[in-house]
Amino acid sequence: MAYDKNMKILVVDDFSTMRRIVKNILKQLGFDKIEEAEDGEQAFTKLKNGAFDFLVTDWNMPNVSGLELLKRVRSDAKLKSMPVLMVTAEAEKEQVVEAVKAGVNNYVIKPFTADVLKEKIEKIFEKMVKK
Amino acid sequence: MDEMDEIISDFLIETTELIEELSQKFVELESNRDNQALVNDIFRSVHTIKGASGFLGFTQMVQLTHITESVLKKIKDGDIFLAPNIMDVILESIDMVKVLLEHIKQKDEVEEDLTDILGKLQGVYDGAGASGEGAKSAKQASATPEPSVKDDNEELNTEIDLEDLQSRFAPKDEDHDSQEPSEESSPKHVGELLVEDGKVSEDDVEDALTIQSMIKESIDTGDVPKVGEILTATDKASREDVKKVLAKQTAPADKGQPQQVEQTIRVDVERLDNVLNLVGELVLARNRLMKLVANLEIKYADTADVSHLSELTAFINLITTDLQLAVMKTRMQPVKKVFNKFPRMVRDLARTMKKEVELRLVGEETELDKSIIEEVGDPLVHLIRNAADHGIELPDVREDAGKPRYGTVILSAYQEGNNIVLSIEDDGKGIDVDKLKEKIIERELASHDEVERMSNKEVLDYIFLPGFSMAKQVTDVSGRGVGMDVVKTNITKLNGAISIETEVGRGTRFLLRLPLTLAIIQALMVGVANEVFAVPLSSVVETVRLDKKDIKTIRGQETVFLRDEVVPVYRLANKFYIDSSSSNGTEKVYMVVIVVNEKKFGMMVDKLYGQEEVVIKSIEGFANSSDGIAGATITGDGKVVLIIDPTVIFSATLQGHK
Repeated sequence: MAYDKNMKILVVDDFSTMRRIVKNILKQLGFDKIEEAEDGEQAFTKLKNGAFDFLVTDWNMPNVSGLELLKRVRSDAKLKSMPVLMVTAEAEKEQVVEAVKAGVNNYVIKPFTADVLKEKIEKIFEKMVKK
Repeated sequence: MDEMDEIISDFLIETTELIEELSQKFVELESNRDNQALVNDIFRSVHTIKGASGFLGFTQMVQLTHITESVLKKIKDGDIFLAPNIMDVILESIDMVKVLLEHIKQKDEVEEDLTDILGKLQGVYDGAGASGEGAKSAKQASATPEPSVKDDNEELNTEIDLEDLQSRFAPKDEDHDSQEPSEESSPKHVGELLVEDGKVSEDDVEDALTIQSMIKESIDTGDVPKVGEILTATDKASREDVKKVLAKQTAPADKGQPQQVEQTIRVDVERLDNVLNLVGELVLARNRLMKLVANLEIKYADTADVSHLSELTAFINLITTDLQLAVMKTRMQPVKKVFNKFPRMVRDLARTMKKEVELRLVGEETELDKSIIEEVGDPLVHLIRNAADHGIELPDVREDAGKPRYGTVILSAYQEGNNIVLSIEDDGKGIDVDKLKEKIIERELASHDEVERMSNKEVLDYIFLPGFSMAKQVTDVSGRGVGMDVVKTNITKLNGAISIETEVGRGTRFLLRLPLTLAIIQALMVGVANEVFAVPLSSVVETVRLDKKDIKTIRGQETVFLRDEVVPVYRLANKFYIDSSSSNGTEKVYMVVIVVNEKKFGMMVDKLYGQEEVVIKSIEGFANSSDGIAGATITGDGKVVLIIDPTVIFSATLQGHK
């Protein structure tokens, strides 16, 4: 799958301000097909029902965490190749190992700029093309 | 408003909500220290605030929440025991978060001096503030910040946290170095396991690690391929094997409780107010329409068009009523919103006063109109403070009286018909009515004889007079003579009522009765001469037709003997200086019986028109309701009518100056 400004992105975070911020940055980068979910549970339902091309999820959320969501995505036949970018905070960086183990494509540490996000997304999709 | 402003205002709303919940959770946590879920929730909230603040460039907020988060993490990991003094520091930091939020809101760019609170938090973090938790320091000592490969995840955590903390004051835009330990610990796990499983040789892993470190040198972000990836890419191991190993590694994550997803949207209150206002107008228009149709039906009884119109009007009536209810519902909020701040307040109070007080919240889900929720906070603060300060005794005193050392204050909310009742109940010493009587006489508010004739309720009502304080000693907390009268005024402003029940030695209970909504009320329309007034139906008990001769004057006060009860009578006409037939000798008059503070009054009027739903409109330039006018409304026939505020009219007479 190629990197495409028209791809449908799901932004997951329990804090609506954060969703807005991430959405805003994604929009700056030229993406506009962006939907939101407020936790892993809701996100997973949305992913199952909608044809999303890219998942940007927060780590620390109530109910179903970002990591749990990632695991569910990876073990779902339909979704398992979905590119996933994990948004983490500094305090979680030691846990990134876990996310990497669970198959995250990349992660980005809060706060990040549009450039950093762009770089991360580009990397994810470059790699996917290579495979 | 541009995008950024909108995000910031979102941030403010959301963070304020989080903080409110936090205060509650902290207090809960103190009484239930082992509640891991609670600690996690708190940690996550602080974490979330920090995350968003980082994006929005609120440096001070990031500084503060960062160290608070670190402390919370230690509590979460069991490295710090949550002693009350540590709780104090954390609560102080949350208070500071509020202060910072206020600065953000005001956009005043003011920087707070955080040295003190940061120092305290640092102290707690370093264990200085904690009471010799020796066992934990050993762990810290063993975690030297040397970026070696760690297998023990917990040790790793501690280590990074320390580093984290060291760099707290340093600018940390791109400190990817600190990720190294975690990056390196990852390959070892995967590689090791693959070797254990006999899928790859140790040399293969070694090679993969070399490749990885090469890649790592060439790029400067944390995006390094995993050993597993490298092994598969170089065909040393199959994807399946790597996956299998990975699966083995991943601990079974705790299954989150599938929770029903709540679909909500945020709406600006102004918009809701606007909708409510429009519905109010619609209700008024509906009332007029119904009146017109009723007239038409009389005039053109057999016309098909008129009967269709009347059918349609009935339908519109139904829809309007439903719409009105629905709109009112959108403005309803659980009282939890106000209740949440009280556990913290009571906790702080109890600590300053060296008392043991438990606050129990009941019925937090009960819903009230937003505007009432906002107004009821201050009165509740007062009543709860009073309960904790004057009501609950010191632990030793309580023990001597055969009560448990800790006092209980119960704050509850429940619906009763069209009212919401809030009750503040303590099991303290109660109010001594005899002492109160002495005080009333001493302050020359009533004569000895008068006081003797008063019911306990009437005596207790004096508490609500301005400048009347029950506290013998003025404390820091309450008893400065301001308060109860303000409480009463505020509740009255909301069309509510307040009453007291008390028993010496057993406790006191304050009951606040509040309407569900403020904007639309049922009213009784009455006439005096050519004027029409609306009387809120909530305070009307009954209407009586009287013979003039039934009115007896006792000591200058007109009264009526109504079913074994003496009811004082007032003439609405006199109140508003209107010439009316009721004051000019017609034989039959109407009396509306009104209850204010559980006391009955008769209000004499010339005509009774019936019940109508009225939308209260405030009168511009007439903010002061001390004249007994609650507002105005437009009736079905298009007339502007004043709405009477019986509480004000009759509480003035209660106090003797009519």
